[in-house]
Amino acid sequence: MYDMKPLEEEWKLYQKKKKRPWFIALGIGVLLTSILVWQYKHINFSKFTHFFEKDKTMVASKEVKDVMLSSQIDRLQIYKKEPVLETKPVTKDMVAKGSIDSMPILPVVNDIPIIDEKRSDNIGKIVVSEKPKVKKVNIEVSRKKMHLDIIKTSTVSAYKDVEKRFYQSYDTDDSLFLAKSYYRKGEYKKAEFWSLQTNKINSNIEDSWLIFVKSKMKLGHKNEAIRILTSYAQKSNSSAAWNLLLQLKK
Amino acid sequence: MKSRYEAAKNVFVDSIDIDDYIELSSSVAAYKQLEHSMQKPLKMILLFGRPGTGKSILLNRLQEKLKHQKEIYYFDTPASNDKEFFHKLFKVLTKQDLPHNTEVNFSALVNFCKNLRGKREILILLDEAQMYGSEMMEKIRLISDTRAVKFVVSLHKTDDEDLIAKEHFQSRIWEIIELKNATNADQTAYVHKKLLKKNLFEIANSIKEKDMKLIHAFTKGNFRECNKIMFTIFEICEYYDKNEPSKINYEHIPQRIIEMAGLKLGYIHV
Repeated sequence: MYDMKPLEEEWKLYQKKKKRPWFIALGIGVLLTSILVWQYKHINFSKFTHFFEKDKTMVASKEVKDVMLSSQIDRLQIYKKEPVLETKPVTKDMVAKGSIDSMPILPVVNDIPIIDEKRSDNIGKIVVSEKPKVKKVNIEVSRKKMHLDIIKTSTVSAYKDVEKRFYQSYDTDDSLFLAKSYYRKGEYKKAEFWSLQTNKINSNIEDSWLIFVKSKMKLGHKNEAIRILTSYAQKSNSSAAWNLLLQLKK
Repeated sequence: MKSRYEAAKNVFVDSIDIDDYIELSSSVAAYKQLEHSMQKPLKMILLFGRPGTGKSILLNRLQEKLKHQKEIYYFDTPASNDKEFFHKLFKVLTKQDLPHNTEVNFSALVNFCKNLRGKREILILLDEAQMYGSEMMEKIRLISDTRAVKFVVSLHKTDDEDLIAKEHFQSRIWEIIELKNATNADQTAYVHKKLLKKNLFEIANSIKEKDMKLIHAFTKGNFRECNKIMFTIFEICEYYDKNEPSKINYEHIPQRIIEMAGLKLGYIHV
């Protein structure tokens, strides 16, 4: 008769050995699952959306040098939520009639197309009216998304294009954009001019008044600046205007 | 108190007992082939297979069945030398003992056999023939050439023994019968039939198909190994039955016990 105790012990060891590969496989499985779960949480899937959405790819991959231009593009993305049907093209007749203010705000890009009413096939689209010096800015209005194809543009040519467009559309967004841009660049004379142009079209834009006054200050016309700002602050009772006035008087 | 497993254990004591012969589909086929070959005017028949495939019991069975029909002799243990072998052969052929202090003259023996041709048909079953030397085998061949004596030579199938088969029998053997390891189904039938033969129905029923798969995996279908593991399994069962009955399931032999037997016999290792 065997001594069963050593045999039983041996069998227990054998069982452990037999189960070891299963435990190892289970461990590896758990580890791999954990890694996958962790990776899933940390992977930025937006990086890969360009595989599926051409529009975003194109915007992201192109170099946009002009900071101001990019802010305009941001605005474009806000406007794209509006139904496309409500966005009417700017026509020469509208400009002539001075009905620009009552029109819906159009996306501001380098080239605002002005199309001829007779060309009804262009309605609903923004078309580049002439070949600009800007290398390429191609905007398509689709039902849901704006298609932007910005390749490269230079700052100077971009400002000129905006100026040109302002004289066609008299859009205060363009003039205010130029005023702010020039003020930021330290070109106060130009900033004063474009804020004045803005105020002429719409005298209720506070930012325009503040840039106008600050430009005056920078140009050394302190008394005139204080006078104009006092007048605006009393009229509008704007806290920003009062604050600036206090700063100027110090 | 006597354990129920004691009788089951003894069923698998490794012995060549013709009463314990179990007819399986594979062994029946081999037997019929061997019987058929012996009807032919062949000089030598080679029966070979791995140890434990049932060669010896098949030869025993053959002798048992044909002993009243034919002049058949079974040489179970090989002679250690020529003298002893020819002593045995002389006795078979002449039915007389060799006188003391005398030796068999091989040439005279061959001539004697030649004279027996047509008169007698003697069948000699040589088990464990791998134990015979090449010179002895050559003499056996010469005797078989007389066509008075027919030999059934049983060989273990190993690389060396294959060489012997090639060297000594390739050109002379007229029929080769190979015994292979049992399939799982054959081995299951073997175990169950053995137990049922001893009226151990409940124990036979406690060995399930899954258990037999494991046993077959351990033994690779070898009958001798099967006897060994079954003996060990029932020995362990006997121990638990007598000392720790809580560790045994009478309706189903636990896999643990089969694995313990496997460990004991070295089929598996820690």
